[in-house]
Amino acid sequence: MKKRLSIFLVLLLIFTIVGCSPKSETPQEPDGLQEPQEVSKQGGTILLSTTTSTEDSGLLNFLLPKFKEDTGIEVKVIAVGTGQALQMGKDGEADILLVHAKESEVEFVEEGYGIERKDVMYNDFILVGPKEDPLGLKDKSPDNILEGLKVIEGEKFTFVSRGDDSGTHKKELNIWKSADIKPEGDWYLEVGQGMGDVLKITNEKQGYTITDRATYLSMKDDLDLDIIIEGDENLFNQYGIIPVNPEVLGDKANQINQEDAKEFMNWIVSEKGQSLIKEFGIEEYGQPLFIPNAQ
Amino acid sequence: MSYITEGFKEAVKLLITWDGEVFQIVSLSILVSTSATLFASIISVPLGTYFAIKKFKGKNLFSRLTYTMMSIPSVVIGLLVAIGLSRKGPLGHLDLLYTKEAMIIAQGLLVTPLIFGLTYGLVKSRGNTIEKVAFTLGCNRLDTIILIIRELRVDILINIATAFSRAISEVGAVMIVGGNIKNYTRVMTTTISMMNSMGDYPMAIALGIVLLLISFIIHSIIYSYSREE
Amino acid sequence: MDIQIKNLKKYYGENQVLDIESLAIKKQRITGIIGPNGCGKTTLLNIIAGLDKEYLGNINYNNKKINKEIVSNMTIVFQKPYLFRRSVYDNIEYPLKIRGIDRQKSKPLVEDIMKRLEIEDLRDKKAHRLSGGESQKVALGRALVFNPKLLLLDEPTSNIDPEYIVTMESEIKKFNRENKGTVIIVTHNIEQSKRLCDNIIGMENGRVVY
Repeated sequence: MKKRLSIFLVLLLIFTIVGCSPKSETPQEPDGLQEPQEVSKQGGTILLSTTTSTEDSGLLNFLLPKFKEDTGIEVKVIAVGTGQALQMGKDGEADILLVHAKESEVEFVEEGYGIERKDVMYNDFILVGPKEDPLGLKDKSPDNILEGLKVIEGEKFTFVSRGDDSGTHKKELNIWKSADIKPEGDWYLEVGQGMGDVLKITNEKQGYTITDRATYLSMKDDLDLDIIIEGDENLFNQYGIIPVNPEVLGDKANQINQEDAKEFMNWIVSEKGQSLIKEFGIEEYGQPLFIPNAQ
Repeated sequence: MSYITEGFKEAVKLLITWDGEVFQIVSLSILVSTSATLFASIISVPLGTYFAIKKFKGKNLFSRLTYTMMSIPSVVIGLLVAIGLSRKGPLGHLDLLYTKEAMIIAQGLLVTPLIFGLTYGLVKSRGNTIEKVAFTLGCNRLDTIILIIRELRVDILINIATAFSRAISEVGAVMIVGGNIKNYTRVMTTTISMMNSMGDYPMAIALGIVLLLISFIIHSIIYSYSREE
Repeated sequence: MDIQIKNLKKYYGENQVLDIESLAIKKQRITGIIGPNGCGKTTLLNIIAGLDKEYLGNINYNNKKINKEIVSNMTIVFQKPYLFRRSVYDNIEYPLKIRGIDRQKSKPLVEDIMKRLEIEDLRDKKAHRLSGGESQKVALGRALVFNPKLLLLDEPTSNIDPEYIVTMESEIKKFNRENKGTVIIVTHNIEQSKRLCDNIIGMENGRVVY
């Protein structure tokens, strides 16, 4: 009796672990059995390395089950910073990348690590801060981020930075650069964590930070932070998709599932993929979080 | 593979030149974990001894609960402390979240049950003889506790070192309540975790080496001390 | 200290190890308990010392039940004594220290005891590293130093060199005669009990036989 119970428990454990992959919510294909064509498509798995922002916003949880429905391909997601995502591509540890640091991405493809790069969508960043906006940035420059940052630096007001070499961090540093400021000092807190943690810290310290809109909207209810500056072109953020090029990987080449990776790329830039992206977020936040702009 | 060897080379360079940032991170780690272990020991060693020699109803259940608490995951402690200290939490007015103090509190709470449980187990198995002698010489409860702690000091020190190792090597609690803020709350483990997600290995490897060295030094000191005794 | 024992019964599980209907130990005397191994004499000693509370029956000390004052006025020296991990001097000083006697006042007392027991040369040695015989001497010193009213000894000379036994026995006698201390000594050495004791209790199979 005991033996049987323990076998059962072990099996349960195995199922739990297997079921813990990000795809566990994938609905079963309802008519998979009736249509042999559908079945034949099953089995492919690709590893998508992407940024924490796409994962945290829930976009992938929304898109990937639909992609699997269409193609039978299972997408496993590893959410990391853009820096690490690109590194994973170079090391052959991912099949495809969905990231947002255009310069690095172009470089990545030029060096031969990626087959090609396609625009997918963009989202925008916003400056958030305490509800009472102690520096009055909302009045002074509601749509000029460069002016806003100058005031923050001038007043040495607490600003929380990702500080993790992620796409968002790079974006933030670029904006400081455009404003001709080198952010340094007691007031500039480098956190080295994901966007959600940065927002929590900003909230506790009642400072300002630059965040992507999606993460902010998804956490808004728990934060005493308001949108202070938005709509500046400097704050737009382009996402690109890059299938990893197996040819430069040497003996790791056959680990790359190039075919399915390409299929995912084509799907996400297709009319269907693009319209799904546009749909995402409207129900919950009343506005799309990502604007599709594939050509 | 080359980035691994490169990483090691860079790491050794960082250590040999005693890089300013490495130094700052290492000292903060030691400060936080030492304070946490110290506070926890002051409370847990006498209490663990007291409960070990005291006879009371439900002691078996108490023992089991104690040993369970010893392995409480650090992220759970981190979460509880963060909830308590956040602006909306009951202790929010103290403005402690994302500070050194919060990290000391979290690590202190993490190792308090550990030191308590280790002391409790030690005294239960080895304190009986000492307690008997204390009784026959006329000791009161407090005398007995002090006597047992003094007699078992080597083993208690080893336990405290074990707790310190746990504190300095945990990442969950300090990450949650400290926030890994550069120059303020960045310690060895949170840096390693961050550097890994940034794909920046040299600093992570350097700090990993320091962590191992600290552990080695502490246990060497205790080993030689216990042999002298 | 007078001790009256009534209907004392002690079991280990199903096994009855003590069965004493009535026993009186008179104060200011040296009483020996003798008997073969396993007859229950050490168990009886532990019960009198208050260490073993799991028994049936009554024990009175000067017509009173055991209390804090009685406990602090009696002590026991085990056959294999536990000494503290500090110097011999500190071990003997310890009972005085917890009774609130300061270092200066305790020093002559401790030194006197060490001199009488001829262990002055062990003064700064770590006590837990001593041999069995040396430990017994130090443990006796630690017991005598605070001048208890009741001294319980369990085979106190089992590891002692023969030529030294005389010294120990005379110190025990001196404690009894000069300090009016009551002594109960468990021994299997009949000669020793004849030399030392005023009364002798013989035990067999948990019962008092004479």
